[in-house]
Amino acid sequence: MQSKASSFRARTFFITGAVFLGIVLLAFVMSLICSPYDPNATSAREILLPPSGAHLFGTDNFGRDVFSRILDASKYTIFISIAGVAIALFLGVLSGLPAGYFGGFPDRVIMLFNNSIMCFPGILLALVAVAVFGPSMFNVVWALGLVFAPTFARVCRAGAMELKTRDFIMHAKVMRVKPVRIMYSHILPNLMPQLLPATVIGLANMTLFESGMSYLGLGVQPPDASFGKMLADCKAYVLTAPWLVIFPSLMLIFYILGLYFLSEGIRVSYSGRSDS
Amino acid sequence: MSLNTRQNLKYAGLKFIELIATLFVVSFLTFAAFSIIPGDTAQIMLGPNASPEQVARLRTELGLDQPLPVRYITWVAGAFTGNLGDSSSFKVPVISLIAQRLPVTLGMSILALIMVIAVSYPLSVFSARRPGRIGDTICSILGHVLFAIPPFVLSLLLIVLASGVLHIFTMGKYAPPEKGFGNYIASLALPAFAIALPKIAMTFKFMRSAIIEQNASEYVKTERSHGLSEARIFLRHVLPNSNVSSITIITLVLSDILGGSLIVEQVFNLPGLGRLLLTAIDRRDFPLMSGMIFYLALITVILYFVSDILASIADPRIRLK
Repeated sequence: MQSKASSFRARTFFITGAVFLGIVLLAFVMSLICSPYDPNATSAREILLPPSGAHLFGTDNFGRDVFSRILDASKYTIFISIAGVAIALFLGVLSGLPAGYFGGFPDRVIMLFNNSIMCFPGILLALVAVAVFGPSMFNVVWALGLVFAPTFARVCRAGAMELKTRDFIMHAKVMRVKPVRIMYSHILPNLMPQLLPATVIGLANMTLFESGMSYLGLGVQPPDASFGKMLADCKAYVLTAPWLVIFPSLMLIFYILGLYFLSEGIRVSYSGRSDS
Repeated sequence: MSLNTRQNLKYAGLKFIELIATLFVVSFLTFAAFSIIPGDTAQIMLGPNASPEQVARLRTELGLDQPLPVRYITWVAGAFTGNLGDSSSFKVPVISLIAQRLPVTLGMSILALIMVIAVSYPLSVFSARRPGRIGDTICSILGHVLFAIPPFVLSLLLIVLASGVLHIFTMGKYAPPEKGFGNYIASLALPAFAIALPKIAMTFKFMRSAIIEQNASEYVKTERSHGLSEARIFLRHVLPNSNVSSITIITLVLSDILGGSLIVEQVFNLPGLGRLLLTAIDRRDFPLMSGMIFYLALITVILYFVSDILASIADPRIRLK
């Protein structure tokens, strides 16, 4: 049974998160079906127009419609964060579960590699990978996936170490269930309370990284729109054309904030369940 | 030698072996990343218009004509003696380029760390004393929001506020420490603040929950029932017991700050390591890139080592695991 207070807290987090995420998801859907202008179409006659009926969020220094570009940017942001986290999760589960379950030497080796990767400031590793292999969305995704994998490996390892002494795992062992099956169909589903919030937080952190990389020009490549690049390009106009700063920043913050609230909601609702 | 000291030494020794092993893997990964580049490294560095003689000369210069293990050993030996060779685009030793830019990045990071500690500690103590009250709720919501703002967005907003509205800051003006320490700090204060704000939120969140957890524990209840003063319970028992979490979180924050400063200094146009890295990437200067990565990772590895040792002093139970 969940206590009333914690279920209320969880619901508040879920609703706030859903509202913020809903805005970004709406933008994503709109970018696919009804973008008002071509996001990359420039127009010399419509440079730096303030928001109006024709251009909801105004236009930028190339005369591109900011609203359409924001729709497009949310598409790439959502795609990169999900694809990157999927890679990180896959690698993390693949290396973390055996490390925790078997312990001993395999554990030491796997964790040594994980800890070593964690020692590089994450953004640095991703930047260099992209620099070496060339800036493209594909390279950004796998580089970020690699950088984030150790986080998930740690969660899986800690969970597997704790669960392997439980009776139901012991029982499975006695019944000669194969280790692979124990790890992936007995331990993994029980790690959801830790893994699910970590995944959602991972999406948010990956977006932070991706937008930073795009800001430096090593993430999403022009002419494709991304929040980071939009904010980098508008630096000269921050005071004269504030709409170029406000709208991309807000969308970026909404997405990250929505994910934080969602993960907090998941965490609270799981911990509320185990408390009583 | 007492049992305790022996355990201390044993733990420190084990951690030291781990440190060496990690350094080995880190150096190997750094080296490998630049050796598995598809195609000819010298050709990539010089671009498609280079003549075959130029490429051959650069290959010899970089030692690319030697076998991989030899190159690795030369590189590692150089890295630990501070000799990483010459940058291929600046034509000066990598180490002097890094040393030249370090005051900006390091100064900013240290300043940001001081801000994080100075703000988040008192705030988390204040919040944790009465969780759920209005003050705590405001702090917590503010923390969530600040946590979600990317550092470069925060920097942009701060620039607009400080130089556009308040006129107290000129962008891209950096005063080196030789020309007056006060000016040096002043020129780095705003970027440091931009890095620190999200980290303040993060530290606040962790410290707050650590203190709340301690406050709710049985021993605190017992102490209250024995009539100990709140101040004494907090200073002598709760605070020391949350030291481990604070050491862990400060370490994480510090390595985040180092990475974050690379981007923020770019927004503020400061001549730090971030700009150097981008120049290196832009000019395909692989010796410079690998040198910077290795040294930044080295700092982090040592940081983690120190934090492990400190944590084991704060909570001796860690040593027994």
